[in-house]
Amino acid sequence: MKRYISKNQKRSDALSKVTGEATYTHDIVVPGMLFAKVLRSPHAHARIRKLDVSKAAALPGVKAVATWENTPRKLFNSTGMMAFLYPGAKPAMDEYIFDQMVRHVGDEVAAVAATSEEIAAEAIRLIEVEYEPLPALLDPLDALEEDAILIHGDIQDNNIASGTHTIRQGDFEKGWAECDVTYEARVKLPIQKQAQLETHAAVAEYRNGELTVWSPTQSVHGTKYILAHIFDMSAGNIRVMNPPYVGGAFGVRVGFGGKAEGIVSCLSMLSGYPVKLVLTREEDFTVSDTRHSGYVDIKLGAKADGRFHAFGMNAYLNTGAYGTHGIEVAACLGNMATSTYRVPNIFFEGASIYTNIVPAGAFRGFGNPQAVFAVETAVDALAKKLDIDPVELRLKNRIRVNDEWPLSYPCSSTALDECIKQAAAKIGWSEKRGRAGQGRFRRGVGLGAGTHFCGYDELAHVSLELETDGSLSVFTGNSEIGTGHITSLQQITAESFGCEIEQVNIKYGDTRGTPYDVGCHSTRSVFAIGNAISMAAGELKEQVLQYAAGAMGCSAEALSIESGRVRGGPEEMDLGQLARDGHIHKTHFSAEGKSKEAVTVTPWEAHAAEVEVDTLTGMVKVLKVVAAHDVGVAINPQLVEGQIEGGVVIGIGYATREEMSINEKGEVYNSSYHTYMLPTFADTPEIEPVIVESYEPRGPYGAKGVGECGLVPTAAAIAAAVEDATGVRFLEIPLTPQRVLDGLQAACVTCQAEKEGGTIDVE
Amino acid sequence: MQKIWSGTINGKKIEKSIEQSMTLLHFLRDELSLLGTKVGCESGDCGACAVIIDKKLFNSCITPAFAVAGCEITTIEGLSENGQLHPIQKALLDTGSFQCGYCMPGMCMALKCAMDAAEHNLTEEEIREAISGNLCRCGSYSLVVEAISLLQEVKKS
Ligand code: FES
Ligand code: FES
Repeated sequence: MKRYISKNQKRSDALSKVTGEATYTHDIVVPGMLFAKVLRSPHAHARIRKLDVSKAAALPGVKAVATWENTPRKLFNSTGMMAFLYPGAKPAMDEYIFDQMVRHVGDEVAAVAATSEEIAAEAIRLIEVEYEPLPALLDPLDALEEDAILIHGDIQDNNIASGTHTIRQGDFEKGWAECDVTYEARVKLPIQKQAQLETHAAVAEYRNGELTVWSPTQSVHGTKYILAHIFDMSAGNIRVMNPPYVGGAFGVRVGFGGKAEGIVSCLSMLSGYPVKLVLTREEDFTVSDTRHSGYVDIKLGAKADGRFHAFGMNAYLNTGAYGTHGIEVAACLGNMATSTYRVPNIFFEGASIYTNIVPAGAFRGFGNPQAVFAVETAVDALAKKLDIDPVELRLKNRIRVNDEWPLSYPCSSTALDECIKQAAAKIGWSEKRGRAGQGRFRRGVGLGAGTHFCGYDELAHVSLELETDGSLSVFTGNSEIGTGHITSLQQITAESFGCEIEQVNIKYGDTRGTPYDVGCHSTRSVFAIGNAISMAAGELKEQVLQYAAGAMGCSAEALSIESGRVRGGPEEMDLGQLARDGHIHKTHFSAEGKSKEAVTVTPWEAHAAEVEVDTLTGMVKVLKVVAAHDVGVAINPQLVEGQIEGGVVIGIGYATREEMSINEKGEVYNSSYHTYMLPTFADTPEIEPVIVESYEPRGPYGAKGVGECGLVPTAAAIAAAVEDATGVRFLEIPLTPQRVLDGLQAACVTCQAEKEGGTIDVE
Repeated sequence: MQKIWSGTINGKKIEKSIEQSMTLLHFLRDELSLLGTKVGCESGDCGACAVIIDKKLFNSCITPAFAVAGCEITTIEGLSENGQLHPIQKALLDTGSFQCGYCMPGMCMALKCAMDAAEHNLTEEEIREAISGNLCRCGSYSLVVEAISLLQEVKKS
């Protein structure tokens, strides 16, 4: 019987979060600190001809002005993954903190540190810049044209960020020719913004050759590495910390956030004071990474009996001005697109392409929502052509354990069939599907399915120490970005070691005193850190029991740790007493946990949505989403459900309303919460999270991750439901009233013209 | 130009010389170190900075400090009394109805304002209405409703 696994343990951060005592980067105050402001490019693409900062520097209260002329000329990649791409892939090393070229509206030109924000802002206005505007590219397909201008011409001769990702299995061309039914389409995807509530911010203090940075980064060790690289500093002299709380992240902070960490570090070095930078909401929208927009071309073919036979895909992602996670997102898109269903013949090619817009990078889902939207559109289309129920078709073709697939790791567990069945049953599939009827308001149901990867197990490393009072400290370089996984890790620690959960303290979000970890992202933390903790706790327990056996003169086999005490011997021993006794006798109880092999496992999910479409206004109202997830064993079901619900809300936004618009000058049109339509309470329908438990043999206590999965198939499910309601399959999201209305009108006209009454694809 | 601001914040009389143009948000955070009130947009769109002023809810980022001089202001720091969590805080804590927590102070203030004003238990619709001005990107909306519904049931029984 497990004491702490599958239990709704209360979040360890709950008290500080409901009382307002939780500290975030915005709240950091360092005595004597200065305030920074940034001068940003008004042009999408330009060369800086002249930069005169003399008036700004002369303004009383200004302590430093940073530009490309007095800051490091060292190319970097702003993600914490800079050093850790999978074998064969190279990160895009394409950014300076400040450069003579500006590549998108909002790109950094200069920054000022002054004694107040007002003075810094005034100084920014006094900087004189002469730009030589250059032609700009906004669309990735234009950027691929042979005569396209080069956005990073100084380092490469094309506009592809860090290469193309290719996947092949079987023979796609041959397989495609052998298919009995085929479908092909191009889907177009929007720019979605993380829009986390706390804007990017950072505080840096450079003193005596040591650099300390407070940041909401999801990867403290990754950020430390980037800083060491840029400033040519010994990494041991850099400390990066979370405060410890982070006001939402969703992928946008895997490393630098809007370069804030780099900017404050430059300014602190130049001025000799601590410096704080808080981005405005508008800056956050216009300069920090977004979800990749772009085009995905899909071809899916099947045999007459419904077996998928050939799958082809080309993804053209818009990475904007910088590559950040470029190649990885394209690779993840391809990997996820090709691992939900069995297909013998596969071809995939994808790339992230430079343009002169705000950069795209990591956003919860990491290429997967784009993949699933395209794949599920094709699956539904084939279901229609084959006259097979879409649920049946999915169940027939889904991947099974240890199936051959193009990925480098095996499918070691899947309950996708259960996810699909439960999602369909709970939305009322058999009663509601195909019953839209006529009239102004039409209802429909749809389903989408997918997987994700949960990994970077090899990059987890923790250390455990038994304290002198018998409590257990766990040191991890991971961060807490709101997901609550620190509580799940406490549960895993207490279970593995045998102590009370109150005796476990997890220290995280600080490079000092924690071993290297790549951070909180990739749906990895419970899985990878959990595995490392289980390993270390097992070893520590062994040390303690051996020592206790020696002290009591009994065999270690007879002993166990229960409720924080060593039991089973001639006497009960207190862990604190043992720890103190050990120190006197040169025995220090500590252990390290690190993975011995790279392990990646696969969570699974199926969402079913019910919508109501107002055919007069084009308004899509989502009535309900059932989100069924295979997360292995849920260590803390309440936290898992919270993750799923939160993901679905962002998924609904992706499907129905969220889209950053860029005008022809490359400017972001909607850079505020007022104009960028986040889902609010009123837009949030009933969400039913369903945990479909399976057991993942390679996860801690059978667990896999869940973090990113909650939004992966939502948009696909909603688009399918809209098709069920209206007969129109939309190939572009979000399904805003105008887009839907246009589509319905076009379809009507086309319907009448062709008198076929089938599904019309609307681009 | 500096001027003396006086009023009541969390039950304490405050007198302080501040810039005339200062927003209430900056007054609270920068001058009084009441950092529980959060900053999400500074344009009145997210509710992270919500505080209660004379029983009404205001977004402090768009409220000039001097427009509310002399008023009684409650921030998240004033919600618990004598070291005891307010029932709203307790309910949210018990149900773990949040993730990053950044929206929580504003949410708590919005809920308190609505519950204090109502003479009856809030319906689900009213709870939704109460926090309709609070954005939560972590998507904890329905959990918050659940927490408050539970709290009210406890009160009833
Ligand atoms: S910070 Fe005041 S409403 Fe957003
Ligand atoms: S809990 Fe993160 S914004 Fe609400």
